[in-house]
Amino acid sequence: MLRDDRFARAGLLAIALVLVGLYLFPLYWMYVTALKTGTEISAWPPRFWPETPDVAVVEVWERLRMGTFLWNSLIIALGTTAVVVLLGTGCGYALARVRGLWMDVALFLILMMQVLPSSLMITPIFVAFSQFGLLEYPRLSVILAQVAKLLPFYVVLVRATFLQVPRELEEAALVDGNSRLGAFLKINVPLARNGILVAAVLIMLQALGEYVYSRSLIQERAFQPATVGLQSFMGPNTSDWQGVMTYAAIYVTPILLFFVLLQRQIVSGLTSGALK
Amino acid sequence: MTYQIEIEGVDKHYGAYHALRDVDVRIPTGQFVALVGPSGCGKSTLLRTIAGLETISEGRIRIAGRDVSSVPPRERDIAMVFQSYALYPHMTVAGNLMYSLRLKGMSRAQARARAEEIAAITGLSDLMHRYPRELSGGQRQRVAMGRAIVRSPAAFLFDEPLSNLDAALRVHMRSEIRKLHNRIGATSVYVTHDQIEAMTMADHVVVMRAGRIEQQGAPLELYDRPVNRFVAGFIGSPAMNFVEGLVTEDGRHVRLALPGEPALAFTGRRPPGEVVVVGLRPEHLTPVGGDQAGGNRLELPVALVERTGSASYVVSDTEPSILIAATERLAGLRDGMFAVAIDPACVHLFHSDTGLALDRMG
Ligand SMILES: Nc1ncnc2c1ncn2[C@@H]1O[C@H](COP(=O)(O)OP(=O)(O)OP(=O)(O)O)[C@@H](O)[C@H]1O
Ligand SMILES: [Mg+2]
Repeated sequence: MLRDDRFARAGLLAIALVLVGLYLFPLYWMYVTALKTGTEISAWPPRFWPETPDVAVVEVWERLRMGTFLWNSLIIALGTTAVVVLLGTGCGYALARVRGLWMDVALFLILMMQVLPSSLMITPIFVAFSQFGLLEYPRLSVILAQVAKLLPFYVVLVRATFLQVPRELEEAALVDGNSRLGAFLKINVPLARNGILVAAVLIMLQALGEYVYSRSLIQERAFQPATVGLQSFMGPNTSDWQGVMTYAAIYVTPILLFFVLLQRQIVSGLTSGALK
Repeated sequence: MTYQIEIEGVDKHYGAYHALRDVDVRIPTGQFVALVGPSGCGKSTLLRTIAGLETISEGRIRIAGRDVSSVPPRERDIAMVFQSYALYPHMTVAGNLMYSLRLKGMSRAQARARAEEIAAITGLSDLMHRYPRELSGGQRQRVAMGRAIVRSPAAFLFDEPLSNLDAALRVHMRSEIRKLHNRIGATSVYVTHDQIEAMTMADHVVVMRAGRIEQQGAPLELYDRPVNRFVAGFIGSPAMNFVEGLVTEDGRHVRLALPGEPALAFTGRRPPGEVVVVGLRPEHLTPVGGDQAGGNRLELPVALVERTGSASYVVSDTEPSILIAATERLAGLRDGMFAVAIDPACVHLFHSDTGLALDRMG
């Protein structure tokens, strides 16, 4: 019995490892290719480990002007996240606390907005923004467009975490002498902290990877984010695969590290002990 | 007499649902008042309207003489112990105790000292650095109590604070809370659905049903003179027996709808031929020797005898069955007939339709 169990477990583990391998293979290939020289990349059969690892980070950073691109990406991502968190947290809370027909309608509309694809929305946004003269500030207009796109997602996520904070806690705070706003900031927000954090990170990752709005709303190269910048180096005639892959690696590695570090923060059971 | 909490003609609607109907309660300063009633009768709602957590549709609430009907909770100066305790999970015991003091603008050191003082009273001194999740149920309960008394508020509100504890701890905390009240002397409103808790702890008991106050008064007054059948059945344990009856020709006896139609005397008189509901408390039916004559007697066939040691419960084999609570052991009683007597003053009469207690003149 015990032996069977162990075999079954080993089998499941093997399957899991294969799936993870499949899933992570592109990532692996990106890093490996970034370390290969041009001739080695086109070699057949492909090598799974470069003969002579060739790190081109500094050279690519300089040549492809990555500093500017990453800076723009960061501004857009942080700006989007900040606006979304500021506007969306209170909204998610209200949707979690107030019940009624109108709230259901509001929630439905919010979910509807989530469904519309950006490639469809970009035309009206472009027209409207150019009429308002917002295109003068290309990065700001990308931030605004992305906020509109990502806010519903954030609101829905954050509403779910506020639903888990017991109502009695804020009532206790009200009776203890706090105002509505004070109770929200001192009781609800700290208790929903993990949910808010996770949602904010998801928003930031989305904003970092965004392409359609930046591509259409930002004409000037100096304001483009890394996603658009990378695209402009790729095409049917691309030969500098090492450069492109190094670029991608530089872009992705910090995000990956960030995500791994954050895993520790995603702990549950913060509210346990409040009730009963 | 000065009143600490005055509730006048309060009505509360939740949409179409009428949760409180014309509620009037006046609570003298320093009294311990219990709100009792079956589940869903509006006890929590009334408490929450006093706290300001629910708005009222009609009427007025005054605390310490000030009209607070439309004042937010934080300006009412009341402390509340929630059924679920509602401790702040991200704060230690000390943090929970100090929270309201800090909101009042007290310095950290002062709040700390006051929290220590309260912790000593409630036996929490060794737990000050723990988080709520690291406490047992009874300890959480004490933190909730401590958080309320730390503020010396104008009134305490308790919403079934003991219902999450086991039976032994509940009895213990019952006397602890009452002792605490005797020491602090602050006006308290205590919600419970357990009438024993209400009877033993309170100076004044308010019985509610379906959003209405059925009767209020001193515990023993409710026990001795219930105004209607609902209160009579709710107060007292085990519950009162109810039997239909017919007032006899002389207007001083009632013939019970039991086998043999026994007649019982009651004090005062009622119109002859009136159909009534007779209420007999199990503990007022005292066993008498079968051969003893006279007295206000009732002979009943026995269906079941239960002995707990301190009391014996006899269930009669009749429809409706009558419960008798005797302090004797009643050794040897198994079946056959069983005779009990009752003081005429303990025979309650209620209107057969409205359930109101009937006046008995002369
Ligand atoms: N927010 C609400 N919306 C609609 N109806 C409500 C709301 N809160 C309470 N009620 C209704 O009001 C009535 C009284 O509720 P309340 O909580 O005061 O009962 P209770 O006497 O405290 O009962 P329990 O002993 O079960 O706690 C119930 O019928 C309940 O369904
Ligand atoms: Mg209740």
